[in-house]
Amino acid sequence: MKVRGNVAVKERFYRLSLRLNGKGALAFSQVIPGQFVEVSLCETALPSVENIPDDLLDSSQRQIILRRPFSFCDVEVTSQADVRIEILYCVLGPATLRMTTLAEGDRLSIIGPLGNGFSVPDGKKLALLVAGGMGAPPLQHLAGYLKANFPKMRVVVFAGAKSVADLPFSVQSSDKNGHGISEFTRFGIESYIATDDGSAGFQGVVTECADRWIKRNRPNAAETIIYSCGPEQMLAEVAKLAAKHNIDCQVSMERMMACGIGVCQSCAVETRATGQTETVYKLCCKDGPIFNGKDLVFE
Amino acid sequence: MSDSRVNISVDFAGIKLANPVLTASGTCGYADELADFVDIGGLGGFITKSITLNPRKGNATPRIVETDSGMLNAIGLANIGVERFIKEKVPIIEGFDLPVFVNVAGESIDDYVAVARRLAGEKAISGIELNISCPNVKQGGITFGTDPRQVQKITKAVKKAAGSKPLIVKLTPTVTDISVTARAAVQAGADALSLVNTFTAMVIDIESQKPVLANRTGGLSGPAIKPIAVYLINKVYNEVAKPSGIPILGGGGIRTASDAIEFMIAGATAVAVGTASFIEPDSAVRIIDGIKKYCVRKGISDIKELIGCLK
Repeated sequence: MKVRGNVAVKERFYRLSLRLNGKGALAFSQVIPGQFVEVSLCETALPSVENIPDDLLDSSQRQIILRRPFSFCDVEVTSQADVRIEILYCVLGPATLRMTTLAEGDRLSIIGPLGNGFSVPDGKKLALLVAGGMGAPPLQHLAGYLKANFPKMRVVVFAGAKSVADLPFSVQSSDKNGHGISEFTRFGIESYIATDDGSAGFQGVVTECADRWIKRNRPNAAETIIYSCGPEQMLAEVAKLAAKHNIDCQVSMERMMACGIGVCQSCAVETRATGQTETVYKLCCKDGPIFNGKDLVFE
Repeated sequence: MSDSRVNISVDFAGIKLANPVLTASGTCGYADELADFVDIGGLGGFITKSITLNPRKGNATPRIVETDSGMLNAIGLANIGVERFIKEKVPIIEGFDLPVFVNVAGESIDDYVAVARRLAGEKAISGIELNISCPNVKQGGITFGTDPRQVQKITKAVKKAAGSKPLIVKLTPTVTDISVTARAAVQAGADALSLVNTFTAMVIDIESQKPVLANRTGGLSGPAIKPIAVYLINKVYNEVAKPSGIPILGGGGIRTASDAIEFMIAGATAVAVGTASFIEPDSAVRIIDGIKKYCVRKGISDIKELIGCLK
């Protein structure tokens, strides 16, 4: 597929827009939030040396060979033959560093859509989306998807990060509902921010922010679902929070992957079925990346 | 000469392969996992991931880490065990129209023998690849593959258990002289040799000052190991395989048709494509195409002319 755009949204954060036509578009026209693609970046050029951040000078020297998995922050289906997907990425290593040099018209090899996305069980009327740091993109996709396909569902977003600079969103002025995030307010979705340093919104962890909201609003647990994506430690806290309030919970896991298609067995996620003592490894790429929070065994 | 006039079929351990390109164990699943991405019927052969007597969970994560032009893996032989393999995967394999080899691993000689015996009766299975070279398990694996007396003992026992099925012995490169273990396998009745398995290696995270892999060490694969693999295959070809008439299945970092051709010139009768399938799932099929084109360009009418033709 072809690169349509690749723009910096803020320091280190970029939005890569890809356009698919023909067979590729057909596959992506049915994509579900939480699914991902494996992107080949080994042939993509590095930026010139003066544009490489100091902390990546060493790792930029590495020859990369494996594809990298990315979820989507937005998918726009014009027709089954014309689909635009958007990847929100943060420059953290040699692959994402290469990604910044992609320009409109470049061709890029991707495999996907892969894995199982988020699902909406019957009877849910309230969705709480809990995002941590770079876990936010698929939840942005999910928010739009819920608004389009479940218009009656109330959606509330909680986005956490170390500091406001680490949030992959544009933060609007605060009002009585907390901070608005324009990526969500455009769907009419209320959103709250939590930062460790208090540089925006609630000072503290995002799970604490969500917990307070639940205590204040006392939603009907059976009609509520939590969707979450972020660092594993945070997901463990989200799973605990969901269990405490007896709310269903789906989380997006992340693992180092070689293939993304279920053959290399590298992306093992430890799970335990209800009532079982034995744990089993499932594959993040094929069985996930979305798992039921209560099935996961966190370290 | 046109593509269609080049004969690219080879005889490998008594089995006719339509072309010399197989997918390597551990990189193509049990059966049809790659079917969405590649026409499996177009391959020369297929080698399943390692099967053990009992199911194995495998190692904790991280199980892989990328390195310069390669990767380390320490999966730890995660698999469903031979009984479930026969029940769930063999019926799928029965639908394939190509030779399928099952990679067998274990913790003791008795384990290996039990799995081989169980597979000996399965018609859909063309042969067994004996994995005595896995670097990522505490017991078995590489501990059998580094001691020539053990290689001989286990090869003999499994050969007997496998009945009429050809036995390929997969060797580790982590030895002083690979010809010694290769010779031990051949003397004990191996029908073919497979080399190389991954090289034991380590990557350290300098921030935490710990190994990246949960298993601490892993097996290095990918283009990084290719020139070493080519050298070892040529050495085993000259010192063991050619004098005994035993074919070599060569592998180690093959990504392109040119790579595969190098291995055949070095002495491999067939080649196994591994890590490359993770990056491009249809690598093996592209390689077959490229081999044909090379033969046309060089005026080679039969690919067998290439095997061990190194000047």
